[in-house]
Amino acid sequence: MYTNTTGHTSYTKIQWVIMETKDLHATSKLRHLNKLRWLSLSIVFIMLVLLPFIHLYQTYEAAHAYDLLTPTEKLISDTVEGLTSPFVNEPEELSVVKGNTWSGTLFGLKLSDPLAVVGQVMASLSLYWPFIITAFIPVIATLLFGRIYCGWICPATLIYELNDSLAAWLRKAGLPVSRRKLDRRIKYVVLAVGIVLSMYFGAIMFGSIYPPAIVGREIYYAIALGGFGAGAVFFLLTLLFDLMVSRRGFCRYVCPGGALYSILGRYRIFRIKRNVETCNDCAKCNVVCQFGLDPLQDNFGMECNNCTACIAVCPTDALTFTVNTKDVPFQGPGHLGHKYRKDKGDKT
Amino acid sequence: MKRRSFMKSLTMGIGIISFGILPFFMGRLLRPTIKAHESNRIPLPGALKNIEDFERSCIGCGLCGEVCPPRCIQFHKHDGGFVADTPYIDPVQKSCTLCGLCMEVCPTDALTVTPVREVDMGVAQIDRAACYPWVDAGVCGACVSICPLGSSAIDFEFGNFYRPIVNDKCVGCGQCVEVCPEPSLPINIVRRELGTVAQHGIGVRKVERGQRGF
Repeated sequence: MYTNTTGHTSYTKIQWVIMETKDLHATSKLRHLNKLRWLSLSIVFIMLVLLPFIHLYQTYEAAHAYDLLTPTEKLISDTVEGLTSPFVNEPEELSVVKGNTWSGTLFGLKLSDPLAVVGQVMASLSLYWPFIITAFIPVIATLLFGRIYCGWICPATLIYELNDSLAAWLRKAGLPVSRRKLDRRIKYVVLAVGIVLSMYFGAIMFGSIYPPAIVGREIYYAIALGGFGAGAVFFLLTLLFDLMVSRRGFCRYVCPGGALYSILGRYRIFRIKRNVETCNDCAKCNVVCQFGLDPLQDNFGMECNNCTACIAVCPTDALTFTVNTKDVPFQGPGHLGHKYRKDKGDKT
Repeated sequence: MKRRSFMKSLTMGIGIISFGILPFFMGRLLRPTIKAHESNRIPLPGALKNIEDFERSCIGCGLCGEVCPPRCIQFHKHDGGFVADTPYIDPVQKSCTLCGLCMEVCPTDALTVTPVREVDMGVAQIDRAACYPWVDAGVCGACVSICPLGSSAIDFEFGNFYRPIVNDKCVGCGQCVEVCPEPSLPINIVRRELGTVAQHGIGVRKVERGQRGF
């Protein structure tokens, strides 16, 4: 992949970069993971929109009153029937997938957010095991992959990433988009305060400030119950927070679920690692990382949500998944970069 | 120079102001046009008896509403505090059919699977000063004919074909409330200790939750 460089001492830096990027094209299959992630996020979001419509259709069918529906309701009923009739015979069979990412049923398997379990256990101060085991699979996934829920499933992440694209567009248009750095430990404080308040007041405090729960619920309210609830305003404010204070600021600094997942994923098994031999210090990974992590310095930490944007953007395939419970310490500048070559005494 | 920086700050100011007032207009759009009857909210079938226990256990996932065939389960969408996003049923708008799907689907112990006749959502209370057959021997019987539990829950008075009497097996599903044709709603779902007949008169004029005072 990389040829001997000693014969090209007369080239300038820019020419070097051009030459290197010409014959080094990314060939790793891992760079497609980001597309897969977008597919997963989109499927979750589309399902969240589709499920209330399916519920509406089921209620219309249960009432046996097609002739009494308004034209809009008839349109909904016909559309959902057309979409689902190839797959099911009875509308009741559509009930196999219900709920949202806060808590839901998937083909008889009940799944819940670990934050919901933590909040409920702390609020009721009792262990209701049928509910606690619903968070088992998410916890295992988090122990293996860290904040994989944040990057791959969370319906709010889709909106936040689109919001981040909007921020880039606004910045290009000349409007100031703030990228302030706050303290990452704020979200652990939010988690701790939420737990203490839940214990004190005996009500689950996380549900109303946790964006994925808000998004799933508000979509349902808007479609099936005739209007958004109060959570929509809060979610809008978090979007504004991301635009005007910090890039992906809510996920990085406030989200209690992100804090819980970060703690669980502290010693995750699968990590992204920089391969120092093929890294050329282009720093694209640092720029593309919405969580403000530092892949160039081998500093992923517990916050990485496995979004794999850095793998997708890396021109030399230097970033791969490895099985390791700890990040490697800083390995020095990349071997294809100028700094490494300069340190080696190479004039280029 | 001057003009350019002025235009820039103007654009910036307009942008910031429009973003800032966005939540205000959003709130205006979200404001409900018709205010829900606070007094008609009854708990779900199989819900924990104590409302505080229910708030402790309910995580606000909305699954019960999403499986409800008559779509009777509403949520505290605009209410803050501890009741935020917890479910309730307003029998005046839409009543429970006692299908039991919400109890099966609830992930927590907020709703526990209960046999139909042991559900306790309250009890129907008839205001005899407003019910047609009780007031002027009118012909109605809608509540008795709709009741899913039959004569053990609501029945006609002995020897009279149309005066309804609520019996002790009533579980408070509220179908009689939904079907009642009288606009002043002589029948309501109230807590069990308030009794099945509305009390009037000097000294008992109390406006309780779920009960209309005269």
